[in-house]
Amino acid sequence: MEEQVRVPRRPIWSGSITIGLVNVPVKLYSMVFDRSITFKFLHKIDGSPLKYQKVCVKEDKVVPWEDVVKGYEVSKDQFVVFSKEELKAARPESDQRIRIDKFVDYLSVDPIYFEKSYVVAPNKSNDAYSLLLAALQKMGKAAVGRITLRTKEYPVLVHAYNGALVLTTLRYAYEVADPKNLEEINGLKEPKKEELDLAKKIVNDLSGEFDITDYQDTYVQKITELVRKKTNGETITVERPVKEEAKELMAALQETLKQLKKK
Amino acid sequence: MVDVSLKQVDDPARLTKVEFTNLDKVLYPELGITKAQVIERYIRLAPKMLDLLGKRPITLTRFPSGLAGEGFYEKDTPMGTPSWVDRFKRYSETAKREINYVVCNGLDTLIWLGNMATLEIHMTLSTVDSFESPDLVLFDVDPEPPTTNDDLINTTLMLKEKLDALGIKSYVKTSGKKGMHVVIPIIAGYTFRQTRDFVHQIGKMLTKESEMVVSELPRSRDAGTIFIDYLQNSHGRTMVCPYSLRATSKATVSTPIDWKDVKKGLNPAEFNILNVAKIQENPWRDLMKNKQKLVVS
Repeated sequence: MEEQVRVPRRPIWSGSITIGLVNVPVKLYSMVFDRSITFKFLHKIDGSPLKYQKVCVKEDKVVPWEDVVKGYEVSKDQFVVFSKEELKAARPESDQRIRIDKFVDYLSVDPIYFEKSYVVAPNKSNDAYSLLLAALQKMGKAAVGRITLRTKEYPVLVHAYNGALVLTTLRYAYEVADPKNLEEINGLKEPKKEELDLAKKIVNDLSGEFDITDYQDTYVQKITELVRKKTNGETITVERPVKEEAKELMAALQETLKQLKKK
Repeated sequence: MVDVSLKQVDDPARLTKVEFTNLDKVLYPELGITKAQVIERYIRLAPKMLDLLGKRPITLTRFPSGLAGEGFYEKDTPMGTPSWVDRFKRYSETAKREINYVVCNGLDTLIWLGNMATLEIHMTLSTVDSFESPDLVLFDVDPEPPTTNDDLINTTLMLKEKLDALGIKSYVKTSGKKGMHVVIPIIAGYTFRQTRDFVHQIGKMLTKESEMVVSELPRSRDAGTIFIDYLQNSHGRTMVCPYSLRATSKATVSTPIDWKDVKKGLNPAEFNILNVAKIQENPWRDLMKNKQKLVVS
């Protein structure tokens, strides 16, 4: 998991960034990847893969794809039916544009709204691209606009990251809850000065530089290692994991058991 | 498909029969103390607790969702109690039915209690060997505001002097709530009626020496009084055990104290989960080796 993650060869979208009358032709590449482990379902007896089928609840029969329509559940068991064509007609049309509405301070956008990021690459537009990149870098600004990707329109942020322009799709306001709606948070008291001083001291003592590589996905590492062993035909012993919290307990237990034995 | 045989091995770090659950559940929200920390403290305090606890039926105060949730008092062995936990079956006069008490006679049982979010452990004043006759006498020194800590300390010391004068060695601990507990270990053969009367009489004597002290229940809630509560010296009644946590927001602990440290300025509320396990000595260590006769008049 230490290896560098490469940007895939094929772009997922091409079009242009439009700022007023200016157009910068660009391509988008994926740059974030879900690396969680996935398993396929197999038949236990012969190891062959299992497939999903859509089965009609009433007839208990497999329904062919051409006989499937989509239903929106308006109330329990009450559906409004849509054909594929109707839904297609309602989709926002992708006009191959990233329309920029304004520029904002990059740090003023809370990461809560960040959804998914893409590398923005120049498409035979190197000069305009590097000009936009340099301006954003120097000013610490980001461009806010809209894009339509496949069937959905997103608010987006175009910003500088590690020497490139990156487009990050944003969540809509109605997709994020306001934590202040929680009663427990609403009634918080102001801490006393001495308490706050102590808390600040703890924070100061533990302060450091953020480095995401400090964190490793230990579950994925473990499964990867198990896969290696299994493919080599090694025997696997199933260990009962000791949780982090339990380690402290085990240390206390060892000491106490020693003391009790002495008696 | 690679065929691999799976073999279950026991974790070498497994030192207890207890299966830990929800260790990161916060039991004391104000201090952010988790169940793992509660269990750890009980493990560290176990060598001091088990000698006295080991032969006594106990009752529990449990807070499965922490102090922020509902707590309940439990006399009976709870559902799903592992078979290795010892029990003691006895008819309870207060509950008017047969009770299956838990007996905490080993480290694993203490850990299991912690894992069930038991914040308070209360023990009887007699042992399973002779349940009907007490081996401990309890003076529950119970102050009512606006008394001060020093009032409480003074009264507790007055009680000690009274017992000293009768040639009786007593032991003291904080209750972990408002008051102090003074305890006398006694030889076999007394009845609860006798121990109860003894405590009651001493209480009456103290009322003559201090305006603050009251010896009778009806006056025990009067403002500014300190009640010498004798009523727990009864069959099946309990006392919070030494080093038990209390279900208080500051996670206080019922802590045995050396008499020489009981003096003006002592604040019983200072003994809590965070500092008690650090105290090395156990002032109650030789308690059960000092069984005494009571002067019953």
